[in-house]
Amino acid sequence: MTPTLEARIDHREMVLARIRTLLIESLGVRRMPDEIDPDTALFGSGLGLDSIDAVELVVQLDTEFDVQLPNDVFGRAEMRTVNGLVDLVLAAESAERDDAVAR
Amino acid sequence: MPSRADPAVAIRESVVVTRLDHVHLLRIRGDDARAALDVLCAGIVRARDGQLQHVLLLDDDAHCFADAYLVADDEEYDLLVEGPTADALHAHLARHLPLGSDIEVEDRTVTHALLGLDGPYAWELVSRVAGAEAIGLPYLTFFHADEWTCYRAGKTGEFGYGLIVPREARDSLETLLLEKGEPLGVTRGTLDTLDQCALENFFFNVRREGREPVTPIELQLQWRVAYDKDAVGLDALRRHRAAGPSVRLTSLVAEREVAAGDEVRLDGAAVGRVVNAGWSVTRGDCVALALLDVRWAHPGIETFTVSHAADAVPARSVTPPVLNNRSLFVSPQLHAYATRAEVAMPPLARR
Repeated sequence: MTPTLEARIDHREMVLARIRTLLIESLGVRRMPDEIDPDTALFGSGLGLDSIDAVELVVQLDTEFDVQLPNDVFGRAEMRTVNGLVDLVLAAESAERDDAVAR
Repeated sequence: MPSRADPAVAIRESVVVTRLDHVHLLRIRGDDARAALDVLCAGIVRARDGQLQHVLLLDDDAHCFADAYLVADDEEYDLLVEGPTADALHAHLARHLPLGSDIEVEDRTVTHALLGLDGPYAWELVSRVAGAEAIGLPYLTFFHADEWTCYRAGKTGEFGYGLIVPREARDSLETLLLEKGEPLGVTRGTLDTLDQCALENFFFNVRREGREPVTPIELQLQWRVAYDKDAVGLDALRRHRAAGPSVRLTSLVAEREVAAGDEVRLDGAAVGRVVNAGWSVTRGDCVALALLDVRWAHPGIETFTVSHAADAVPARSVTPPVLNNRSLFVSPQLHAYATRAEVAMPPLARR
């Protein structure tokens, strides 16, 4: 495997681990980190979060990763699963890198 | 151009009616019913009267035995079970229900049938038959009508309802649904249609990936497991968890047809195997689930290939669902099939 791909997967796994911890410590999900599967639904019968948790989750993600998630984030399919959150964070990080280069 | 009469299209744009003959319906009653269900189900039994709960039944090796909805109905319970044959299901119950307990199991599959309604406008069809009460029915709840029971669930990513009806009344109700649904573009669905939709939305399919000799850990079903209780298969699962999984179920999209059993490769090395696949009419490509080495079981890898016959099919891993389900943008309080063109929708396929 290429070093670039290895590095990308390492970073993705790091973001996933931090989101799992955030779900447990800040959102009160009563699970161990390894019990939170990446494609688990966040809401309803999955991890059991609700619409109020969704607002808190976005605030926590912005703070934890020092990014600005899109304004329309609540209507996005990415808000449905843990892996979707990872995608959002990675996309926000990428957008901020692009902005920094443009400046 | 895909036809709206194709159930694979109708289920994403209007509504389909499907006979759910693959589902076994058990009624479980008695003073010890709830305790017995807690032994059978891998997770904590939480359903309260009027609610459904999605539950998982494991075998002794922690492999998936059945996928079920548990329905709490007053002091009794229904189990809507997918996966095993009727004989295997009854043998499982006989083996694992506690001896000497006050439990009665009635197989209602012989007296009742199930019809499924799925699609972004399924709520509109069910309300035309069951009344306005159906429109506000919360997810994973049910109500009784005169002759049948209507529950809201589903494994397609769209609005989904099930109707439990006396077997002799099934055909007439189905005819009524197709008549009332004609202005809504209703089509008769098939089990294959439901399976394809489940695949596209990462709903567990016990008859496909569920037949693999792996556990809820590899299948990403731990949300339906409680490690701190005693139930069938949990000892084996706890041991397996301590050892750690080597593979994880991952969604792929492929440019051409692939099939269960095909090898998945990354930079020339074998990294896993396809366990479920189907052509997506709505996306125009093939959607697959593969058990991949955990190191590579992540979305966003663009350079997989799948060895299908003599073909090396390019594939990439993705975060499911692979569709923007219309049901997320349709509100029963605001919209109707007749005015569907007024609802702003993103493209159906998520790329």
